Amino acid sequence: MKFIKNHLMFILPLMAILLGIEFYLVFDRTTDSYEKGLKEGYTMLVVTKKPVTLQKLKQLNPHIATLEAIKREQIVSEVAQGVSKQSKKEILAALPYFYNVGLDSYLGTSALEKIKKDLEKDSNIKRVETFGSSYSSAYRLFAFIKFLLKVFIGFMGIVSLFLIIKQMEIWKYAHRERMQVMEIFGAPLMLRAGVLFKVAIFDAFIATLLTSAVFLYVKFVWAAQSGIDLMMQKQDDLFKMTDMAILLGVALLLVIVAVYTVVFSSKGVQE
Amino acid sequence: MSNVISAKNLTLAYDNGRKEIIKNASFNIKKGDFVFITGPSGSGKSTLLKSLYGQLKPKEGNLVVGGRDLANISSRQLQELRTHMGIIFQDYKLINEWTVAKNVVLPLMIAGYSLDVQETQAHRLLKHVKLSEHADKYPLELSGGEQQRVGVARALAKNPVVILADEPTGNLDDYSSNVIWDLMENACQQLETTVLVVTHKIPTIFSLPYRHFIIESKGVYEVH
Ligand SMILES: Nc1ncnc2c1ncn2[C@@H]1O[C@H](COP(=O)(O)OP(=O)(O)O)[C@@H](O)[C@H]1O
Ligand SMILES: [Mg+2]
Repeated sequence: MKFIKNHLMFILPLMAILLGIEFYLVFDRTTDSYEKGLKEGYTMLVVTKKPVTLQKLKQLNPHIATLEAIKREQIVSEVAQGVSKQSKKEILAALPYFYNVGLDSYLGTSALEKIKKDLEKDSNIKRVETFGSSYSSAYRLFAFIKFLLKVFIGFMGIVSLFLIIKQMEIWKYAHRERMQVMEIFGAPLMLRAGVLFKVAIFDAFIATLLTSAVFLYVKFVWAAQSGIDLMMQKQDDLFKMTDMAILLGVALLLVIVAVYTVVFSSKGVQE
Repeated sequence: MSNVISAKNLTLAYDNGRKEIIKNASFNIKKGDFVFITGPSGSGKSTLLKSLYGQLKPKEGNLVVGGRDLANISSRQLQELRTHMGIIFQDYKLINEWTVAKNVVLPLMIAGYSLDVQETQAHRLLKHVKLSEHADKYPLELSGGEQQRVGVARALAKNPVVILADEPTGNLDDYSSNVIWDLMENACQQLETTVLVVTHKIPTIFSLPYRHFIIESKGVYEVH
């Protein structure tokens, strides 16, 4: 019983870290296209007196990546329903040119303002509409949630790491006498701390397997029955075999750091 | 230059040098010497041994063991030096979660010998200390005398250059004490092992020539 408790006290915080990491990986993957959509779905509206080319706009500001003309005829037919053909022609002639302009990357409000100014310097351009606030609020909210998630996972990681080191100290106390005797007979550190390393590495494997099991369950059992569209579409992204390697790597790194911390923190043996 | 141990104006102290136990001690111990160290309790016998296996750094003076200056030894060098020492404690210091056989071959394990070698050596050593039938037991299943014989077997396992023993027969029965003195005499005589033994009483049955140091009032004196 004590044996199991000793291991759980080590495996649980380790799992907390691994679950956090895996959760972040999954979150990142499943929301990747959403984030991209937020980034790329943005366009600004440019109104010009005469037709304009992408090259021309790029010269004005290098962030401009795409240019798509809005069909003027369509605008006219919407605006001028029930108006005579002749009038329509006149309206069409008087109507400026409208373009949707896409950017090469996500930009903040001030950068958008700069683009607007750059474009408006050109005498051919009548008007630029950036829709800055609604665009950035959606993206900012998303970025904020992602940031919170990172902070939370990071915080949990630190707390867990302390728990791991604490538990390691308990082990060290339990193994102290043997380590002292071995030291007096000239055993190198690796041999003295061998048991600690063995137990810690064993637990790292167990924690990795348990964490993987949780996510495999979510992937193959829970996601399918969840009825959540995003989960069902992205089922593949919920857990990848390469994640297991990442988790194992992290777990091993953590336990090895923990063992070293504990073993080196002890000063010379005193009787 | 056949000194295995050489101390010159050696001062040993605890509590960051504030509590001096031994002051200005000088002595030389040659290869193959058998030395008894006696003195009142609390006089610093264990302290002197501790300094010899590098557990306590000299406060002042020189202390050279096996060619190493213990005042300026790196932990790696100390580790290496200790593999040539056989240390025996009054409280045995066996590893209680290991079998007797595994305890005995600890020095061989540290030296990286194969399990095969360790096993045959365990047999040989336990036969020496007359504990052959206890190989697979755990230390706490043995009597005090038997445990100390395990401790002695462990100290002899790798034919050390020097044996440091702190009251090895302190409160043991006569049989175990005799076995232990025999083993130490043999090691000294046949392998020219240097032996330092702290004891409250020099055994009457002892047959080898020996030296006798007394520790008293912080000094180390040789009795002639
Ligand atoms: N780790 C220590 N810290 C401080 N004082 C110690 C320590 N170990 C021993 N002493 C003191 O040093 C003195 C000598 O101790 P010790 O060498 O064990 O004596 P002996 O072995 O001759 O009986 C004693 O007064 C003891 O209390
Ligand atoms: Mg003592």
